[in-house]
Formats: sequence, C-alpha cells, structure tokens
Amino acid sequence: MNIDRRSVLKGAAWGTLASVSLSASGLSLANILLNTDSVGRHPDLVLVSDAASESAFLQGALAVTQGRALKVQRTDFSLNFIQALNHSLHSGKSIRLIGLVDDASAGLIVETARSAGARMQWLGQHSASTAQSRHRLISTQAAHGCTALLGQQMNACGNGFNLQEHRLHGSDFPFELAAQQRSEKDSSQWAVALGFALAALGTPSTATAPLIATSPPLRGHFVSFSIET
Amino acid sequence: MNEHTNTVLPRGVTQQAFKEAVAKFRILLGDENVLLKDEQLVPYMKVMMPVEDAAHAPSAAVTATTVEQVQGVVKICNEHKIPIWTISTGRNFGYGSAAPVQRGQVVLDLKKMNKILHIDPELCTALVEPGVTYQQLYDYIQEHNLPLMLSFPAPSAIAGPVGNTMDRGVGYTPYGEHFLMQCGMELVLANGDVLRTGMGGVKGDNAWQVFKWGYGPTLDGMFTQANYGICTKMGFWLMPKPPVFKPFSISYDSQDDIADIVELLRPLRIAQIIPNAVVIANSLWEAGSANVRRVDYYTEKGATPDTVIDKIIKDKGLGHWNVYAALYGTREQVEVNWKIVTEVIKKSGKGRLITEDQAGETQPFKYRAQLMSGVPNLQEFGLYNWRGGGGSMWFAPVSQARGSECDKQRVLAKRILNKHGLDYVGEFIVGWRDMHHVIDVLYDRTDPEETQRARACFNELLDLFEQEGYAVYRVNTEFMDRVAQTYGPVKRRVEHAIKRALDPNNILSPGKSGIDLNNNL
Repeated sequence: MNIDRRSVLKGAAWGTLASVSLSASGLSLANILLNTDSVGRHPDLVLVSDAASESAFLQGALAVTQGRALKVQRTDFSLNFIQALNHSLHSGKSIRLIGLVDDASAGLIVETARSAGARMQWLGQHSASTAQSRHRLISTQAAHGCTALLGQQMNACGNGFNLQEHRLHGSDFPFELAAQQRSEKDSSQWAVALGFALAALGTPSTATAPLIATSPPLRGHFVSFSIET
Repeated sequence: MNEHTNTVLPRGVTQQAFKEAVAKFRILLGDENVLLKDEQLVPYMKVMMPVEDAAHAPSAAVTATTVEQVQGVVKICNEHKIPIWTISTGRNFGYGSAAPVQRGQVVLDLKKMNKILHIDPELCTALVEPGVTYQQLYDYIQEHNLPLMLSFPAPSAIAGPVGNTMDRGVGYTPYGEHFLMQCGMELVLANGDVLRTGMGGVKGDNAWQVFKWGYGPTLDGMFTQANYGICTKMGFWLMPKPPVFKPFSISYDSQDDIADIVELLRPLRIAQIIPNAVVIANSLWEAGSANVRRVDYYTEKGATPDTVIDKIIKDKGLGHWNVYAALYGTREQVEVNWKIVTEVIKKSGKGRLITEDQAGETQPFKYRAQLMSGVPNLQEFGLYNWRGGGGSMWFAPVSQARGSECDKQRVLAKRILNKHGLDYVGEFIVGWRDMHHVIDVLYDRTDPEETQRARACFNELLDLFEQEGYAVYRVNTEFMDRVAQTYGPVKRRVEHAIKRALDPNNILSPGKSGIDLNNNL
C-alpha cells in the first residue's frame, strides 16, 4: 500500500463517521491516486471567470507548481476570447490548460477544444451553496485518482459535499462520494482542492492542497476542465 | 485503453465486429482520425439534458475530410452494422449538443470538411461543406469585401449553415427561415451513392444553387431533421447587403401585452414592411442575455417570483416583452417603412420605441442588432449563467401568428414551468405566418432533484401542449421519439418505410427524429 492509497482509505474511514459513502468502484479508483501513465505536466494556462474562483482555484494549483508562476486568464463569452483560445489550441504547440469557469464560458471552451481535436481529461460541473457543494464529473484514465483526491480533501476539511463521477470506459456504475457538513468554516476549500487536483493531474506529486481561509466563501455554479493538445 | 476493452459499444454490435470496423476506419481515415480514447471522446459528451452522461456516450468518433471517405465510412458501417451519428459543427446545445442520440453510436464528425466551395456575389449564392462555420463565412465575406449579408442563429460564430439548415433552424434577418433559403444539397446515401438534389444531377449544369426544384419530386426536405443521408455539400442564398439598416426595439410593460404585440406586428411582417424574423423576448431572456444572474436577486430554490422579476426589469430598464426588428433597403425605402412602423406603434397607444442611437452600446440591444445585420456574436450564451448548473433544453412549440394563440401558449408554458419550480425564459420568433415560441428550460444538472423536476416539466410541457393541439418543431435528442409520436402513426410509418428502403441496415443516425428500424414500425 502506498502513501496515497492509505490517505484515501483513511479519508473513507473518516467519511464513514461523517456519513460518507464510498462505492466499490471508488475503492479501485483509489488504488492509483496519481497515475504516472498520464498527462504528467503542469498546466501552461489557468482559465478563470472571476476573482473569487481565481483566488481559491489558483491557490490550489499553485501548491502543485510549488511557487512556479502560472499564466492566468479571465474568460468571457466574447468572440475575441474564443478566437484567441482557438488560435492557441491550433497553434501546433502542445498546451495544457485547466480552469474553473462559469457555465456560458465553459460551453464555448469545450466546443472550441472539441473542434481543435484537443484531449479532455476532466470535465466537471460544480455548484456550491452554504450547506454543501455538488460535483458532477466526467473523468478519464489520465485523470485516474483525481476524483478520489478531491473527495478526500473535501472530506478532510469537513465541508459537506456530494460527488458523482462517470468514466467513459470505467465501471457501469458511477463513483459516488458524499459527506455531511461537519465544519462551519468557509466552503471554498473544494475549489482549492479542485485546483490542486487538476494541476497535479498526471504528475507524481504527493503534496496536499493548502488549507485556506477565503472570505467570502465561493458559491454558485462552475465548470472545471483539464484540456491538452 | 484499447479497442479490446471498449466498454461502450453500439447497440447489438459485438466487441469483435466493433474491433474489425475500427481497424478498417483506421486504414481508411488514418489513426489520427479515429478517436477511441476516453480523453478524445469526453469533448463529445457535454450534454445539457436531464439524463446520465453515460446515456449519450459515444463508442468512438471518426473524422472524414472527403466525400469518398464518407462513402468509405458508410461501406464499413454496412459491413459491420455500425450505427453512426453525423454532426457538422455539433453546436446545437439545448437541442442535444454533439453527443449521439443513442449510447454507443460512432460519431461521424464532419468538422474537417470545412471548405467554402463557392460564393457568387452577383447571384448571391453560396456552396459550402458541412464543417464551415458562420464565422468562417463572415470572415470570407469581409476579406473579399462582398456586398452580402449572412443570417444565423444566436450561437452564430461557432455554428454553421449546413447543420443549422439541416435541423431547420432559424435566424433573425429577412433570410431567417434558413431551409427556405437552401438551394441544392449533395448527400451520401446509406448504400454509398452520392445524390445531388434539384439541378445538381444534370451534367454540365450551373443552376444548382439558383433553382431549387429541378424535375420530378423535390427531395431536399426529406433529408432535413432526418437520417436518410449525410449532407456533404449545401447551397444557399445570401441576402444582398442593404445600403441602410435600421434596427429598433419596442419595449412593453405587461406580460399580457403579448397578444396585442403579435396583432400589431403580423400585418407589418406579412406585408414585408418589417421583413426580418422579428423577435419578441420576455424579461428573463433579456436579463440572462444582458449578463444578469438569478443568484444576484434570489437564492431560493424554485421559480423566480414575479416580484423579483419586476425588480430586475426596473433595475435593468427592460420590458416585460421586448420586440427586436429592423428595416432594410435604400434610404428612401427605410424612411417610408419607418414612418409606417412608427405610426402603427403610436396608434396602438402602448410600447416604447427605442432606436439604435438611443440604445447606444447597451445589451441586449447591441447583440440583437448584430444578429439582425449578420454580425456574429456570442452574447446570448449569457442565458446559461442565469440559473447555472449546465442544464438547458429548448422547448419550441409553433403556433399561428395570432395574439390569442401566443398568449395562450405563454400562460400555459409559464404555469407548467413555475409548477415545477423553473422559470419561463422565452421568446417568440415571428415567421411569415407562424410563431416559433422558443423557451429555454434552464436547470441545475448538479442537483438530482432539480434535474428530475426538469425532466418531468419537459414531459408535461409536451403532453399539455399536445392536448391543446400544439407541437414542437425541433427537440433535443433525449425526447425525439416522444415528439415523433405527436405527429401521428401514419407519418411515422411512412418515415420508417423510407428508412427501410434507403438504409436497410439502419446505420445512419438511428433514433434521429424518432426514426429507427428497431422501432419495428
């Protein structure tokens, strides 16, 4: 058992006490927390829609790069933004980008990525309210372990959450995790954990997402992704 | 992942047959055009419908670049009984996105067939491949300084004329009824034959893009919203760019004004005083398009209360109903028609007229004016942030262009949506004699309970509208079979008889518009 597997199982055990459910497919998913046979590079660009998501998501991502600066870009749904993104994805240079953006921007980003023939290792739909955060994820072999990592870190900080992951070539049953809220602290930690998990995707990092005390808490609807050309 | 362990397969297709087909696809198209890895297929899986993502997951996607390759794909599919789901740009969002109608279908993505084959600035015609986007066309027209104007739906820049027309979509200019402006198609049939409609089959002909009907039965229509062939080229007419374009808006203060608005506009529209596909957008459509988010005003679950909507209207200077129309032509023509329009509005005693000068750069006027003048923009994507959560289904019943009909539909739709805790976000698009009543059923897909409500709501909308004699003209892939039932058993039997004749192996998009030989009709 490696250290990552131990930490996930430990998270699951904590979760049992806190009404966490971990399906059978989740346990197998936890076998390899960060798959070395996957993307294996830090993001070149982080896309965010507003200051709040930038703050939390970026803190998580920066913990992975250990201080190396990340290029950050604000999204919108203007033609200029989409044309610039399209240009980057078609530039012929390999690029990896991650992001946490609003629904409108996400619709355009995913479509632009598909047209460019980009690979998408992760696509998540998130909503966060006072009581809990909800996460509906489509992930891939290359993102193996990210969901478990996200679940473990959210559970560790006591935020209520509900997480469901679909894998195209995975189990017929979605991987599900849920926990009741045990802490009155802010609920932005999910975005920090997400930024961390996506930035770390495919890299042999054993660090953990930083705990932050963001104020005000990050609430609303978001879409996350990891895209690579 | 490799094809030996592919867990998503087309219905009734064995792992072995799938593997053999994939090997042939690779030889035909090259490895880089046969997508099997999960990370290559996820971009085809972003659906907005109230179903599990897995329900519309593809087993593979293939991209073709020539008509011959499309013929080759069809041949392989026949040999191994592989169903394919064809997309051009795949950007119809609330009508189903790029995902196949049935789990396991292989997506045939025609995005790389993206050549503008011909634009004739004198006859004002175009011939394009399916992957061409409106932005590409717009850039071409600008670059060559052609005196032409495009008509497109709101996703404008990223959508394309072939996909939109084949799905009988609409735009906002005088050429807004896109299928009406289509002229000549090239289609690869299931047996590999290449059919050209209209004048296209005549050797040496040069009238393919100017005369629709050709000789004998006119076939174009039966290939739209259908699965009888794969469109590889399409001709259509372009509007000459008018010397003067005058957009305007009329703002109304009451939800109940819709009947009067329609009665006011219909004569102007039929007589072509106002020649474009006029839009009558409700307050929440306007708010969403102007980047207002529901959460800024109301955070409870359920339908947004009317008092809150009134507050948004007041804050943002919107109307309960907002008409967008434009005049086109020479200075003299526009002056005459403007006089007629303003007098009719004045006589009606209600409605605030807003001109381009008065509106300035404000949204949503600006993007509406752009859409009416063929300038691409993406502003209407703001609707997806109104409620957030990634759920969207277009509910689009048609009606006569009569005030009483529109009011009846508006009341019925709002009642059903609000009952299910969702908002009425709607617009009417005024056709020549019909109304496309387009409602965006927006909901939070991360919330299972709200997703369930949205599904129940959509079913109830379909059921109760059908009871009143209404039907939608287009629907997302999840509800295609249900809507086909509304149009009656005889139509369905005829559609399936044609399918049996043209595609006996049921390989072309089975399930599209409810046409699938597995239905045994």
